[in-house]
Amino acid sequence: MVVGEITEERDLIVVGGGPGGYTAAIRAAQLGLQVTLVEETDLGGICLNRGCIPSKVWTHTGKKISEVPQMQEMGIGVNEPELDLDKLLTYKNKITEQLQKGVQSLCQGNKIEVLKGKATFTAEDRIGVEYGHQFDTYIFKHAIIATGSTAALPKEFPKARQRILLSHELFDLTEIPNHLLIYGNDYIAFEMASAYQSFGSKVTLIQTGELSLDQSIEKELKRTFKKKKIKIIQQDSLQSIEETDEGVTVKLTDHKGKEQTIEGSHLYTSGHQQPNVQSLGINRFGVDQTEDGHIIVDHTMKSSVPTIYAIGDVTEGPSLAVKAIKQGKVAAEAIAGENVEADLTFLPTIMHTNPPVASVGLTEQEAEENNLDYLVGQFNLNANGYAKVTGKTDGNIKVISDAKTEIILGIHMIGEGAIELSSTFVQLLEMAAKVEDIRFPLFAHPSTNESLLEAVEALSGQAIHNPPKKQPDKIKERSF
Amino acid sequence: MLEVKLHDIGEGMTEGEIVHYHVKEGDTVKTDQPLVEVQTDKMVAELPSPGTGTIKEIIVPVGETVQVGTTLLYIEGEGANQTSEPEPKENRKPAKANNQPMQPKRMQTTLNRVLATPYTRKIARDNGIDIEEVQPSDPSGRVTEEDVYQFINGNQTPKAEPATESKSIAKPTQPDEIPFRGIRKKIAQKMTKSINTIPHVTHFDEINMTRLVELREELKASGVSVSVPAYLVKALTIALKDFPVFNAELDEENEKIILKKDYHIGMASDTEDGLIVPVVHHADQKSIQQIHSEIKELTHKAKEGKLEHADLQNSTFTVSNVGPLGSTGATPIINYPETALIAFHKTKKVPIVTDDNEIVIGHMMNLSMSFDHRVADGATAVAFTNRLAGLIEHPNKLMLEMI
Repeated sequence: MVVGEITEERDLIVVGGGPGGYTAAIRAAQLGLQVTLVEETDLGGICLNRGCIPSKVWTHTGKKISEVPQMQEMGIGVNEPELDLDKLLTYKNKITEQLQKGVQSLCQGNKIEVLKGKATFTAEDRIGVEYGHQFDTYIFKHAIIATGSTAALPKEFPKARQRILLSHELFDLTEIPNHLLIYGNDYIAFEMASAYQSFGSKVTLIQTGELSLDQSIEKELKRTFKKKKIKIIQQDSLQSIEETDEGVTVKLTDHKGKEQTIEGSHLYTSGHQQPNVQSLGINRFGVDQTEDGHIIVDHTMKSSVPTIYAIGDVTEGPSLAVKAIKQGKVAAEAIAGENVEADLTFLPTIMHTNPPVASVGLTEQEAEENNLDYLVGQFNLNANGYAKVTGKTDGNIKVISDAKTEIILGIHMIGEGAIELSSTFVQLLEMAAKVEDIRFPLFAHPSTNESLLEAVEALSGQAIHNPPKKQPDKIKERSF
Repeated sequence: MLEVKLHDIGEGMTEGEIVHYHVKEGDTVKTDQPLVEVQTDKMVAELPSPGTGTIKEIIVPVGETVQVGTTLLYIEGEGANQTSEPEPKENRKPAKANNQPMQPKRMQTTLNRVLATPYTRKIARDNGIDIEEVQPSDPSGRVTEEDVYQFINGNQTPKAEPATESKSIAKPTQPDEIPFRGIRKKIAQKMTKSINTIPHVTHFDEINMTRLVELREELKASGVSVSVPAYLVKALTIALKDFPVFNAELDEENEKIILKKDYHIGMASDTEDGLIVPVVHHADQKSIQQIHSEIKELTHKAKEGKLEHADLQNSTFTVSNVGPLGSTGATPIINYPETALIAFHKTKKVPIVTDDNEIVIGHMMNLSMSFDHRVADGATAVAFTNRLAGLIEHPNKLMLEMI
């Protein structure tokens, strides 16, 4: 050790203050560890500042606008809506600032030391934090890497760009695009298509791959998009993307082999997420990584170096805050000596589109591909009383069950209330619930919940509000 | 150069363990020849060779768990699907699931994860158990709390070899086969018929052999050697005369129990080919010494495989003298269509409390008597064995019965 250098000791150092990182820090502090959280920019990460939260301000705004015609019908004196984007940006910034402050005060309250700076590992138990001219070294017992990921443009895209936007740029745009092209296949792409259509943009969605949703849900989603005049083009291969002063031109071959040229005023793409690992220096002492740089971890989020854990986008799997938050808790608890695991089997797929989507477990395609003996029960929200009241009648719920054991294998929903109901879906699957476990309990009336009950009853052709002809052909006798 | 990668053999596998290589470096292989055996959490599968050539290099050692897509070995091809030269060696490091000290958790999918509630999973975790190994008692395949506790208490055997031990799993061995013919098949038929026809009851008892042992020693000292079974057979015939229902045959069709007047005692004998029952005919009319020599001769013939048809016919009661081999009890199957069978077990030196409340060393022998409950009841059986025991325990009583 160089004379004069001060090396401080810490139980746990969390690198990255996104939803995974700050959750890990707080949980570790709750369990009595002395925690230091290092964040290079703003607490809350992509999720709070540029991802989940801002995008939900957009989708929520879109939903509100779409409700105006119904409000008019109900006699509420509202004129044709005009969106003041400046105000919306202020609103968004207010929300993110509030949430950021909330995280800050939680860290304070939990006696977490928050350092602003860039962290670099120098050994298996040592980390340096650089801020301006300052460089401090810390010795830690454990570290959690929660540095997240950065969106990168596909290589076919032009480097110099004004009108081709990544997510954080879209949420700072000061004009509403005339014609927004949306390029991608991720949930934000679909959400933005939904939102900007409501904002008044012409929207063309260029889908670059298959969605992994259940086919009925995807079909209904696309039907509602078409109803709103959102054009969907299924891309087979991209020819070129060019940006001019007036707009963006995409040339591609669609899935039918036809060449198309699509012109828009702006183009949004989520790009692909690349793990933020370059400046961490972890390759020096052999933290195992995948080819594209993701840190390899076990079920407790421990890397190949036992003192170092990793959570969230920097690890393998989908780039979702729900995953990072869970992994953050598990890592902190494991470090505190608890016996825990993260299991992403029933990770809900959520899209805050209008109508929203929530999907958990086996899809019908998967059940079919695996030759399972399964039943399908489906219920259209149109037949739900409360959906009629609220005017949110688009969508349906689909339940897949094992024909022999009656265990629920998958629940998929598109429609108002799907996001909030998704936790019920996950819980039913985690509890390995059977059909009767849903039929037996009481469901509040009137409510969207009832649609779940009806979809389950439809498994045996007994949904009360499904017209007889709509009951599935695959009716089998229920056994008790 | 052909690159053989671990590919998804089915069921959505994500990784597999190399169990065994059928080839070594330098071997010549043909298309579709099995190269390597891989074990997933579901099955063991063989990867066939994609082409013809020579095994150039085996990259992944046996015992390692690797991800789908990892290159296992290289074949220097003679044609077949040529692929590009392998990458430099350092990049060829197998994409290991994890480093050694970690217990890599299998990637779970909605299809293969065991069904259990989160709380049940926690119980398993807290007890260091991989819940995937717990056998569900629920017919729907859900592992319950109870199942996990049963597993913890060792009342369950693991569903499969735990991942850490599976390294020792070798190629499944071919079981040996024994032809099911001849005596074996005959025994099987007879036993099945007996157990399916006769409602068996087995009654256990013990006989104090001390006096008989002393008598034999006395006789031996005077130059006469008579085996225990000879006494037993003799005593049996006397007891059977008092309880003729055990020397009988049930004729169900004609609704009668035939009490036989001949006392032909079958002697269950172990031979290389299996169980054979030679018969001491008219044992009641023979002296103990005659019985002794007859048993000796029959046993000899049985061992040599020289028993004649007549030697095996018409037994009315069967004795299974397993004592010399050991054993303390059994539930023997009756030699159909007889009514009863007695197995005599090992005679052991044991402390015996005498009538004077003293402990002495004596010789005790257990017996197991199976009888046809259609023909006789428990009380009769006990009375019968009491009579038999009395004759053996006081061998001089035998004398009184001699004709």
